[in-house]
Amino acid sequence: MNPTEQTQHTGYPTSKAFCLTSLFWMMIATFMGLLGATELMAPDLLENVGWLVFGRVRPIHINLVLFGFVTPGLLAAAFYYIPRLLRTQLFSEGLGVVTVIIWNITLVGAVVSLMAGYTQGREYAELIWPVDMGVVVVFVLCFINMIMTVKNRGEQVLYVSVWYVCAGIVLTATTFSLGNVIWRPDTGALVGIPDAILLWFYGHNVFGLLLTPLSAGVAYYVIPRAVRVPLYSHTLSLLGFWSLIVVYTHIGTHHLLQVPVPTWLKVISIVDSVAMVIPVMAFLINIWYTAKGKLGAIHADIGAKFVFTGTIMYFFVSIQGSMMALPVVQRITHFNNWVVAHAHVGVLGFAGMIALGGMYYILPKITGRPLYSRLLADLQYWLVLIGVVGFTIVLTIVGLIQGNAWYNGEVVYRVLPQLQYYYVTRAMIGLVIFVAAVLGFYNGIRTMFSNRGTIAS
Amino acid sequence: MYFPYFITYMTVGFAITLVVFLWALKSGQFSDQQRARFLPLEEEPEPAAGKASKIRRIEVYALFLLAIAGLAASAAVLVFAIIHGGQPAG
Repeated sequence: MNPTEQTQHTGYPTSKAFCLTSLFWMMIATFMGLLGATELMAPDLLENVGWLVFGRVRPIHINLVLFGFVTPGLLAAAFYYIPRLLRTQLFSEGLGVVTVIIWNITLVGAVVSLMAGYTQGREYAELIWPVDMGVVVVFVLCFINMIMTVKNRGEQVLYVSVWYVCAGIVLTATTFSLGNVIWRPDTGALVGIPDAILLWFYGHNVFGLLLTPLSAGVAYYVIPRAVRVPLYSHTLSLLGFWSLIVVYTHIGTHHLLQVPVPTWLKVISIVDSVAMVIPVMAFLINIWYTAKGKLGAIHADIGAKFVFTGTIMYFFVSIQGSMMALPVVQRITHFNNWVVAHAHVGVLGFAGMIALGGMYYILPKITGRPLYSRLLADLQYWLVLIGVVGFTIVLTIVGLIQGNAWYNGEVVYRVLPQLQYYYVTRAMIGLVIFVAAVLGFYNGIRTMFSNRGTIAS
Repeated sequence: MYFPYFITYMTVGFAITLVVFLWALKSGQFSDQQRARFLPLEEEPEPAAGKASKIRRIEVYALFLLAIAGLAASAAVLVFAIIHGGQPAG
């Protein structure tokens, strides 16, 4: 069955709906980031607009990037390639579309509640209980759809991407429930240090056990197809998968090295943070060796170009993460903008890039039409890349200024004047990312809804 | 008292992982690895990719420079922390 026939047969409504969700919420999420960065530069800008103060804008930005832009983008690709790798149809496209609808209702609920000031006040877990339950429901629905597709498969061997996607969905459903303490709807929290441990168990896992496996799944599918070479080693990929499952779950406490959590827990988090080099390098060696000598093919395919760049960013963010877990490094780099730089390399540079790449790769296939504009996609690629590198440089400098000053006993307000120029630059870079999001949305909409012929079979 | 929650979760998580791993072992998920490498390619072929243009080559160089810049920034942080991260000055 050629691509056009396949598209006419299924229509891929779930993938399309996830694409639309991701592209739309990327605009809103990056606008909120731009707004927050502007408020850091000009704190009095919106001082009388209660629902847009920094304390509300920041959690909206974070939650929308996480659950509005990156995760739906990665799932859009997953709902396309999982049935193909399993030689079957998706268990239920209807269930998939219902999932996306509930997903968007949940996102609207998240934005409205956070703007109205309803928050549980825990970083990365700000959402109130009804919204939490919406997130749990959509992940459970995704899991049902995926696991039933696996059950109905025509191919007995599960390709590594299938492992990553199923694990990412089920692990997130469970760690989200636990980390948001959903059995206590009134507070969504435990008390004292146990709550901090639990929160960062979730806070780090939402990156490592959601965005990382979904991104790895996309890369393992897109890169071999784009370069038309078999995966370098499937055994190595499974080694990377299982070592990620074993190692990643323990490292959240490396955010708490400077607070009174049990020492044994700190030691485990440090050791496993450094041990992350095993799953990271297993993944990167596999992808890079698969693409070895085929960079021309990578650059010819805009989806693969995004994905491959995302793998390079993964290398950086992982090196940073392992370094940051060392106490001697963390004394300077933690609790300041260095961590914000790290987060942007990870979520936007790695997972965001791969989410965009996954969508660009599947868009012509699920619509049966060529991409509306390769030029716009290239432009978006460079804007995002320059934005990520810009964030990294600016926020790393700011972080080192803050970290060095505080480490030497300087008070916060005396350091602020030194940061102003960097905060202006940061807001400008935020504008670049927002423009990139608008370009991507326009390109995606035109590709989906304009009638510009069919792709060659 | 929070230990019961944590221990329960760890136990359940470990048990599920073990069950899935054993299922994978018994169902031959680790046995046919050579064929598994080709699974993404066993569909219709991609349209032929064009030859890399000069602009794309420039992009590769630019990407390489950005990568070097990122690596240098990370190395600088490590060196900075090792030199200045021993004891607070005051």
